[in-house]
Amino acid sequence: MRRRSLRLRLLVNFGLGSLLLSSLFASLTYFGVQHVLVVNQQQTDLRQSYVNAALIRSTLYTSPPQLGNLLNSIERATDSNVLVHTHHQWLSKSNGAATADVAKSIITLVGKGKITQQTLNVQGHLIFVVGVPIPAVETQVFEVFQLQRLEHTLRILLSVLAFGALLTSLIGMGGGLWVTRRALRPLEEVSAAAALIADGELTTRLTVAKADEEVQKLTDSFNTMVNRLVERIERDARFASNVSHELRSPLTTLTTTTSVLQQHRSELSPAGQESLDLLTADLSIFRSLVEDLLEMARSDAGATTHVIETVSAVELVRQSARSAASRIRVAVPPIEVASDVGHPLVSVDRRRFERVMTNLITNAQRYASGVTAVRIALSDEHLVINVDDAGPGVAPDEHEAIFQRFFRGRAAHDRGLARGTGLGLSLVREHVEAFGGTITTHSSPEGGARFQIILPLSQGGEE
Amino acid sequence: MPRILIVEDDDHIRTALRLMFEGEGFTIDDAPSGEVGVALFSRMAADVVIIDVMLPGMTGFQTCQTIRTTSDVPIVIVSARDETADVVLGLESGADDYVTKPFVPEELLARVKAHLRRRPDKSARAFKLGSLQVIPDEGIVRHDNGDELHLTSTEFRLLIDLASMDGKVLSREDLLERVWGYDYFGDSRLVDVHIRRLRMKIEPDAGNPTYLVTVRGAGYKLVL
Repeated sequence: MRRRSLRLRLLVNFGLGSLLLSSLFASLTYFGVQHVLVVNQQQTDLRQSYVNAALIRSTLYTSPPQLGNLLNSIERATDSNVLVHTHHQWLSKSNGAATADVAKSIITLVGKGKITQQTLNVQGHLIFVVGVPIPAVETQVFEVFQLQRLEHTLRILLSVLAFGALLTSLIGMGGGLWVTRRALRPLEEVSAAAALIADGELTTRLTVAKADEEVQKLTDSFNTMVNRLVERIERDARFASNVSHELRSPLTTLTTTTSVLQQHRSELSPAGQESLDLLTADLSIFRSLVEDLLEMARSDAGATTHVIETVSAVELVRQSARSAASRIRVAVPPIEVASDVGHPLVSVDRRRFERVMTNLITNAQRYASGVTAVRIALSDEHLVINVDDAGPGVAPDEHEAIFQRFFRGRAAHDRGLARGTGLGLSLVREHVEAFGGTITTHSSPEGGARFQIILPLSQGGEE
Repeated sequence: MPRILIVEDDDHIRTALRLMFEGEGFTIDDAPSGEVGVALFSRMAADVVIIDVMLPGMTGFQTCQTIRTTSDVPIVIVSARDETADVVLGLESGADDYVTKPFVPEELLARVKAHLRRRPDKSARAFKLGSLQVIPDEGIVRHDNGDELHLTSTEFRLLIDLASMDGKVLSREDLLERVWGYDYFGDSRLVDVHIRRLRMKIEPDAGNPTYLVTVRGAGYKLVL
């Protein structure tokens, strides 16, 4: 199964991990601090309530009419609201107090002579109510403390902690990013170098600057691998090139003496004539094999040997088709130029383009009964060259494979006599791609195979 | 009986070529090296010379240049390499044509015959090209100051054919057919290299030709 990017995964893991840890830490801190603060506050408030209750009791004993003033002065001094309850009704209360803040249950409890404290949530605000009984006069004193200041402090604490947690997660992600980048950089370099090498930049090597031991090892083995690969490629190319070069001279002698024999054909017995014809036919196959091998070796040598010229597309196709046809001694295929083609230019290596036409015409000759037409058209700033035949066509599952080196399709096996080299179409593709074009196979209007070359048009001048 | 000089160091190929050409009724001189070839040619001028590029000692290119200093004879280079650089080098050394090994013998034969068929077109009228006087019936190009310019027969023919078009364009394909006499085979590089050589000789500034101009995507024309 293909997994998502390692970098993304590491980044997410680092981010989530640090978020989780910092949130946990922040929550613990918050609830701990909240508990301590609330308890402290309540103890302070409770102590104050006892003192105030004592004051109220003495006022009730000595001068009850002063009670209202006392309650208000307490409120001013401590910012708490005081209410006095006696015989099931409110005796007095400070100015800011509201009887509704004191619940029935607490009145009952305090009425039974118990000191009671209660934290209530009234309209979203916390209040702390302390009830102190004064049994001697059957009176209960209630003091209502607003916890707003505490709430405010806690809110600030919460914001600070949340911000801290977020910051920690971001730092975690940043750290993750840095670590992944650092850890993955050698991998990326390897991957970029491998891509270059795959594109034919065989001189590419990894360079090392202050590398860690592990990276150094990777770099070394990568470079060693590339060196071996290049040696091998060069050896293969040299081999093909050397062998073909060595074959040229004897092959020239063979073809020339065979043609001398053909001059004397009438002097030969029927068996001699038949043998000579077989020899001539196979020599021609042998010759095209050597030519293809040489071409392949040259193609492997890279683009340095290409001589790209900007030429008239129609003239190029026309002339290449003519010389290709003459080279393999078949009739020149009809060339049909669409009416809107005009005089486009393309940039190609002429010799290689002629090779492309030669191989396509040879192919059509071998598997169909020759090219029915070469059709030239323009499409979307590109030149489209269709080389059509009326043969059996190419099996759909072989559309790509026929462009591979030494591939021999079913059609090749079916026609035992028409032996090909298996290199022709692969060379065609290599050449066309070297010109920046593409070649694909389709069905021709005649029901056979269509080889479609698409070349980019050129704007440049000639020579 | 047309006479052909074959300069080729490979015994087998040389013998095979000799047999083939003799079978077609040619008289053959053959030489295993450039030095021998040049000596043979100076004794007995051939109608066509075939030179292999890879020769021991004097190379095929040098042999070609040496023969070219004394003669306009059609020279066909036989090369084991057909990279453009090699082809151009061969043609620059004065050859009229080239084939690559392994060649089709009939193709070499056809080319040699085409070269033999070509005769200078003496009927064309003389014309002026800047300070140059082109005189087809004498086969010479003369500068106004009296100096004679030396053109090979292929170059001369190329010039005359382009002049006969009255400024109209000839494609490389047309030129191959008219100048070399090739119906099919032939490589347009042949035309390009000869045009370049001709420019070096007749243009005041070969880098910026004013007479022999390239028509982009079409071919060449001669502006009189």
